[in-house]
This record gives sequence, C-alpha cells and structure tokens, in this order.
Amino acid sequence: MKKYIFLLLLSFQGLLAQVQFDASVSKTSLGINERLRVDFTMNEDGDNFSPPAFEGFRVVGGPNQAVSYSWMNGKKSFNKSFSYFLMPLKKGTLVIKQASIEIEGKIYKTAPIKVTITNAVQEEVNPYNPQQKMGEGIHLVAEISKTNPYINEPITVVYKLYVSNTASVRNWREMASPKYNDFWSQNIDIKKLVVENGKYNGEDYRYVVLRKTVLYPQKAGKLEIEPLSLDIEVDLPTGRRDFFGRMEYASGNKTVSAGAKSISVRSLPEAGKPVDFSGAVGDFDFKVTPSKTTLKSGESLDLVVSVSGKGNLKLFNLPKPVVPSALEMYDPEHKEKVNTPLSGMQGEITDTYTIIPQYKGNYQIKPMVFSYFDWSANAYKTITSKEIMVNVLDGPMPTSGDPQVASAEGKQNVVANDQFQFIKLKTNLTAVAQKDFLGSGFFYSLLLAPFLIIPVIVLAKKKKEAIDGDVAGNKIRQSNKLAKKFLSEANKQLGSKEAFYVAMEKALHNFLKAKLHIETSEMSKENIRELLLSKKAAPDTVQNFIALMDSCEFARYTPASVGTMQQDYDKAVTVISGLEKQINN
Amino acid sequence: MKKLLYILLLVTQVFWGQSAFEKGNDSYKKEKYEEAVAQYEQVLKSGKQSAELYFNLANSYYKMHQVAPAIYNYEKALLLNPDDTDVQTNLKFAQKMTIDEIKVVPKVGFSKMIDDLLDVFHYENWAWLAVGASVLFLLFFIGYYFARITVVKRIFFFGMFVVLLGMFISIAAAIAERDHYKNERPAIVFAEVAPVKSEPKTTASDAFVLHEGTKVFVIESLDNWRKIQLTDDTEGWIEKDAIKELK
Repeated sequence: MKKYIFLLLLSFQGLLAQVQFDASVSKTSLGINERLRVDFTMNEDGDNFSPPAFEGFRVVGGPNQAVSYSWMNGKKSFNKSFSYFLMPLKKGTLVIKQASIEIEGKIYKTAPIKVTITNAVQEEVNPYNPQQKMGEGIHLVAEISKTNPYINEPITVVYKLYVSNTASVRNWREMASPKYNDFWSQNIDIKKLVVENGKYNGEDYRYVVLRKTVLYPQKAGKLEIEPLSLDIEVDLPTGRRDFFGRMEYASGNKTVSAGAKSISVRSLPEAGKPVDFSGAVGDFDFKVTPSKTTLKSGESLDLVVSVSGKGNLKLFNLPKPVVPSALEMYDPEHKEKVNTPLSGMQGEITDTYTIIPQYKGNYQIKPMVFSYFDWSANAYKTITSKEIMVNVLDGPMPTSGDPQVASAEGKQNVVANDQFQFIKLKTNLTAVAQKDFLGSGFFYSLLLAPFLIIPVIVLAKKKKEAIDGDVAGNKIRQSNKLAKKFLSEANKQLGSKEAFYVAMEKALHNFLKAKLHIETSEMSKENIRELLLSKKAAPDTVQNFIALMDSCEFARYTPASVGTMQQDYDKAVTVISGLEKQINN
Repeated sequence: MKKLLYILLLVTQVFWGQSAFEKGNDSYKKEKYEEAVAQYEQVLKSGKQSAELYFNLANSYYKMHQVAPAIYNYEKALLLNPDDTDVQTNLKFAQKMTIDEIKVVPKVGFSKMIDDLLDVFHYENWAWLAVGASVLFLLFFIGYYFARITVVKRIFFFGMFVVLLGMFISIAAAIAERDHYKNERPAIVFAEVAPVKSEPKTTASDAFVLHEGTKVFVIESLDNWRKIQLTDDTEGWIEKDAIKELK
C-alpha cells in the first residue's frame, strides 16, 4: 500500500517538474568595465514576474522580453525570457538574487547566481562594433549656482551637455524632466543652441547649454533637485570607409543623466522680522503714487502701488492701502512687468486702485509700509511711503448724509453748515469734576421746600383769622400795647430807683392826659377818682391807680429794691390796661 | 485774609485758564496746531473744561489729521452740549476720515419714543424742571388758597394737580435719563488697527478689525478686555488700551 502512494507521489512530481523557471548569466566572471547579461527563462507563461534587486549592479538595459512558440513533431514548446544588461559597480563576488514568477497559481523562484567581478580588462577593440564605444565622451552636467540659499533667494541650474571631439550627437529626447518640488521655477528659453568650447575634467570638449532654470526655494531644509535624463542619438565612426572614401558612421542610442543634486535651504532669520513681512526677498524700491490729489467728488483717482527691483516679485502680495470711508476704493488691477534672466526675476509689479471720493473734504491716505529681506545685506529692510492728502473740492457735504437730491430748476440751494466750522473764541470754563445737582441735598431741599411752605401758609392764615375773630382779646391787646407804650420809658429805667419812679409818674400822668383829657394842674386825686368813676371805671381799678400814684410819690423818698420796682411796673401795666378797657371814650 | 487769598487764587486760575484758551486760539489762527493742542490740553490739565474747549481741541487735532483724538474731543464737546450744530458738523467731517464705515441700526417702537423724550433734556435740566414744577405748585396753591372767586379757585386747584404730575414725571425722567447716561459707556478706538476677538483672549480668533476713530459702546469689562458693541449691534472683545472711554 505504502509503495503505491509513493509511486503516485513520484508520478506527480514528474508532472510538476515540467514547469521550468531558470536564471542564466552570460558569464560568471567579468571585469568591472564589462557588462553582464542575465536571462530569466520559463517554459510556461506566468504572471507577476518580479526581478531581483540586482544589488551591486546598475541596470543598463532591459528588461527585454522574448517569447517563442514552436511545434515539433506535434509537440508544443513555449519559451519566454526576460533579459537584463547589468553593469557592475564594484569589484568582488556579487550575488544575483532570486527572481520569482507566478505560473498557474504557484510561485516559482530561480536559484541565486554568484558572479565574480575582477579588475577592468582590456577590451578587445572591435572596429566593426561601435556599440562598445558608445557613450564615451558624452556627459550631462547640472551646475547649481548656490547650494545654501535663503528661502526665496534665486538659484540657477544650468544643464550642459559636454561632447568630446570624437563623438557627435544627432538628436536627443528628454526622458525625465526634473520636477522642482518645493521650488518656484522659471525656465529660461534657449532659442538657439550655441556650441562652445570648454574643458571637462581637463580635456577639451565642446558643450551646449541645454537648459537654464531659475529656482526660488519655497521651503527651508534639504531639498532635492531631480536629475535630468536624456536619450541621446549618437553617431560614432565605424572605421570603415565607403566607396568614396568617406568615413562611415554608425548611430546608436545612449542615456545620459545629470545626477540628483541636493541643496540646503536656509530659512529667513527670525530676528528683526517686521510684523507685516509678506515674504518679499531681494532688493526693491517701493512707491505709492496718486494720479492726482485735488479733484471733484465723482471724479476718479488712480492710486498706483508699485514695487520694482530684483527679487521674488511674483511671489508676494503688495500691501493694500487703507483709505477713509468717504473714499470709495475698488479692487486693484494687478500688472506684472517682470523678466527673468539668469540672475533672477527683475522688473516691476503694480496694483492700481481706482478711488472715487464721495464727499467734499480733505482726506488722508495712510502711509503704507513695505518690508523685504535683502539677502545680500542679510537684513530686513522697510520702506514707508509718504502719506497722501486727497483734497476733494466739490461735492456733497458729509453732513447732508445722502448725496443731495436735485434741487428745483433754476434755484440754488443755500445749505448752511456746509463748511468745516472755525473754532469758538469765547468760552466759560467750569471745573471738570462737578457734582451732580440731581440727587444732591440741595436738589431735595429745593424740591421739598415749597411743600413745607404750604402748611406754614395755612397756619398763618388760620392764625390771622382767629385774631381777627377775637374782639375782646383784641381790645385787651390794644390797651396792653398802649400801657406798654406809656410805660416803655419806665421799663428802660428799671433798676435805677429815682429815674424809674419819675418815669412811672410821668407815664401815669400821660395816660390820664390821653384818656381823660385833663391838664397836669387839674390832677388832684379826688378829681381823678371822680373823673374815672364817671367814665364807668371799676372802683377797684381806680383805687389801684390812686395807690400806684401814691407809691410813686413815696418811693422817691424811701428805699426800694429792684423787686419792688418790677412789682410796681407789673401793677402799672395791669391797671392801665384795665382802665383802658373799662373807660369808654 | 485766608479766604481772600483763596478767592484770589481761584480768580487767577480762572483767568489763567482763560488766557491759555485764548493763547490756544491764537496758535490755531496762525495754523500752529500743535501749539494750540498743547495750550488746550494744559487748560484741561488744570481741571477746567467746556464744550468750546473740547471743540477747539478737536478742530486742532482734525487739522493735524489725527482722527481718533479729534473724534474723541468732538464727542466730549457733544456730551457737554449735545445741541451744538457746529460740533455736529465738524464731527461729521472727522467721521468721514475714519476707515471703518459702520451702519447705524435705527431703534424703533416705544422704547425709541421714550428715549427721544428723555433725550430732550440732560438729566440735570430735568432736575431743575422738577424744582420749577415744585415752586409752581406752591404758587398755584397760594392762588387757590387765597382766591375769592370760585372759578379762579377751581382753575388753580386743577392747575395744582397738573403741575404736581409734571413734577413727578420730571423726577422720573431725570432718574431714568441719569441711569441711561451712566450705563451708556461710549468709547473711541485709538489704536490704528485693533483686532476685535470673539473671546477675551489674545489667542482667540479675530471676529473683525476696527480702525482708529470708530465709536464703540462698552458693555462689559474683564481684566484687560472690554466687550464692545458697535452701532450695527455687532459685539466682540477688544483690548482695553486700544480704546479710550469718553466718560
């Protein structure tokens, strides 16, 4: 049983072994200046062929594909091969690693091959095979003006094709155009190729400038310039001569490439960087010029903002003017007059703003500031334009708000206050920190005073009415007043005895004179009593009056204290007012 | 003696202020605006003010094309004397020099009517009006109280209540107008370019940008930041130093 299984396995293996995928080399030992051909062949078509990396070699040709079908005695055979031409890069033993392919869902691999590279060998010169010599004496070189520029500092790359005197180039085709990532680039067109003589590695060569490019790095750091590769059609002498004795040439193709170059770009210094720096690098002049500064409203004015000089002119924005709201500014017209020689962009860029004033008056366009980095001076520079005064002579007033409505025909509107007013010549200065009147005590007292006066008025009127109404009281008050009038002199003398009593007597006499219409000579006590009684005075009062007169006489000769005087005075007042009341004239 | 000295001092100060004002006027006439500004500012420094002084100062600044101080001083003059047409005219001239153009959103409706009514007088004048009404009330009362003819008495009686009502309205108006005045904090942007932020932080994004001479109203304060409102009702935070408040 086991045997059968084994046999079965064997037979399958035999079936599988029919797919072949081999690698073969033209030679296993070669000089460093020789080339090597590697073929990967298979007898079934497959997919996903992946060649090895060919470490230590440079692929100079291939992959070339060859497919052949053949029928022989009714048997089909298929053969497909990929071939590469390799050029060793170093001496020693190199290994060509496995290549792989997928055939009918299975992956096949070749065996690695060892190749020994020896020193360069003297090539047999085959005069009939110019192919060997092809590529000699042709070099493509990229020359870079500066390898550590600042950002936005122009650098130039010049591609030169050196051709030795023995070779000649018929034509060329660009295989890979370099892409200048992270650069702003400008190709300088070369209208006519000019062959010049120069030296390459100390030998005489002819050269042609193929291409010139101005680059402005846009990023700091290490930047790669991709190589330029050319496919060149070369003519080489075969050594044979034709019938007429002229040299026969054989032509062939060759690829040359200028190696990749890297440059390190420096960022602009941070120290002293102006706030409004917009990325301009170079050497510039900055100007702001108005087309006119005196105009009528509705007329337009062009404001030209221009930067001229050398530098990255197309790579920054011009500063924008700031104008008062009374001037209407429109979007600018941008113009560039820049040409780019090898030294970098130079010329002028301008922004032209159209400004239309709306109102009469004097308006100021603020000074504009433009700053740039001068890489030759290694410093930032700032140019400030002058301020511009725009004088609008005619037009609606700022005060009238809207532009005026057309006035009636033939009439002219006289608008007051349409001029800027002159200063005032008189003033009344007051202290800055004044206290508010509202809320102050003064305010409240003034506010409430009238209300407080009202009850006073009411009371006063009430009192007056009461006084007017009280008749008896009035009389008493009147007589009291009279008595006091008579006694006023005595009152003054209150204190000195003699004078007081003299005054008192005099007062009593005066009273009698006034009331009874009698003379001093008639003033005997009996006479007085009779008269008073006849006038219907109360006997008590009369008695008191007489007593008072008596006491006045006595008092002159007797000592009396202030107390007694006061007593007598009071008595006099009562008696006189009593009499006054009782006596009817 | 001391009192006399004080009075003398006061009088000389007033005279001194007056003379500086006139010197300023002379400089202005000779178109030496910087000197004029210095003179006027000196008067202000001595603690004196007047609408005319602010007006002249603003004119000098206007002639020197300094928009922000010009507008600031015109507004100051208008605070003292809101009805001066000269000031209003020149303020409009100055405003045309500003860069920002901000619409004024008109107020409408009842609140506008009330505001207009209140704005007829300054609150101090409303206060005096109230005092006047109070005195008138007293006179009417006297008239009523002492009048002997019934019709006259009735008229005075009625008048008394009318005047009393007028007094209360005046007091209310005075208080309302004062509150309005105190709450309204106008300011002028002095910085040439002032970013207005959406939040009171330097890192916050710019909501919009104002230029010098624009009038704003301060609503809130926080540290070094002021929340401002424009006449078109947009709001934002601005740094304190960028603006100068009028009151």
